Amino acid sequence: MISEEQQDQAALYTLGLLNPHEAAAFESELSASDELRYFVRELREAAGDLALGAPSQSPPASLKQRVLREIAMKTERSAPTLTQRASFAWLPWAIAAMLIVFCGVLAFDRARLQRELADVRAADPLMHTIFFTLTPSGSAPADAKATVAWQPGRQSGVIRITNLPAPEPGRDYQLWAVDTAHKDPISAGIIRVDKNGVAQIRFKPVDTAQQVKAFAISLEREGGVPKKEGPILLAGTA
Amino acid sequence: MVEEAATAQQIADREMIARIGQGDQSAFSALYDRLSGPLYSLAVKMLGDAGEAQDALQDVFLQIWSRAGTYDPEQSSVFSWTVLLTRSRVIDRLRARGRRLRVVAGSTDDKDADVADASTMESAADTADKNDEAARVRSLLNHLPAEQREAIELAFFGHLTHHEIAARLGQPLGTIKARIRRGLLKLRQRVRT
Repeated sequence: MISEEQQDQAALYTLGLLNPHEAAAFESELSASDELRYFVRELREAAGDLALGAPSQSPPASLKQRVLREIAMKTERSAPTLTQRASFAWLPWAIAAMLIVFCGVLAFDRARLQRELADVRAADPLMHTIFFTLTPSGSAPADAKATVAWQPGRQSGVIRITNLPAPEPGRDYQLWAVDTAHKDPISAGIIRVDKNGVAQIRFKPVDTAQQVKAFAISLEREGGVPKKEGPILLAGTA
Repeated sequence: MVEEAATAQQIADREMIARIGQGDQSAFSALYDRLSGPLYSLAVKMLGDAGEAQDALQDVFLQIWSRAGTYDPEQSSVFSWTVLLTRSRVIDRLRARGRRLRVVAGSTDDKDADVADASTMESAADTADKNDEAARVRSLLNHLPAEQREAIELAFFGHLTHHEIAARLGQPLGTIKARIRRGLLKLRQRVRT
């Protein structure tokens, strides 16, 4: 048997009018009584009936579309497994595609770098210069030294000599390019040093040198000779 | 006759809720078609603003979608469950904007069409919605003793507490509790007969 007080509380509970403490206490009673639960159910139905007391109105049709759209979005969001599986299934292909693109970019970049390097080499003489150090040989002073910068492409070079005293009158120093393609050294011209034993001269062999393996300086007759005759004073390889 | 029809409808509603709980959007669409009218009417009545009522109704149906699996037929019919969900969402909105007295004033004003005398309401309902269940309930509601109808309308549509109703009407708290309880039970009894 439900008391009147319980019935009053049940009505207030159904309409959400109890404070949290009162509601909790009532729910405790509710869980212990089938009769009370049935009574509350009847009151809930009465509340449902009461809602029909509001003047009838219809929501705009657009509202249903709005709600259905929202539901569809919720459904998509709440079913991530399938989507994620699909995404992961494509991932290796995506990575492979990215790698292909990346390799393509690298190949393109490599070709571009090679072109740029070739351009730089073409523009920078040092990239095509071979350096030879000539050291004393025979009667040359021990501290005499010569350095040759040779550019095969241009078939020309520069020689710088230090500590090589000027030759006696009627004699000249002559520079020779020792080339693998020629039986005899190729003359690269007469070299005249100043009073300090220093010279810096641009030279050009008289014949085309294919592959110079060494340069040498000999003491020759004044004005030079077409084929080496005198002793080698300085010589060196690259 | 009415009870049998209501039971059949309740069974159909439960089936729809069960399908909605399994993610059936067509069942959801059907339930929306069936319930959106009365739930929207309730929201408009309580909020007094069509735009806000639409927002509340959207919230309610999203809640129905997400909570369909928790529906317990032992506690209430689907219709009553959704009515109480709607009322709860509307009350949240009323609390948020702090203007619940707006509707209360309307529901207790004797000059207002909503609370016109019972015979006028009954007549209007009978002529306009003769075969409509809502009209029948409105008619029954208006046949309740005035003090009971007033108390349950203030509590249900106006969401005044029993303390506030007692203070507003100048009646003892126990009297207001009894009026709410008797009014609800009488309405339920009359709807079922």
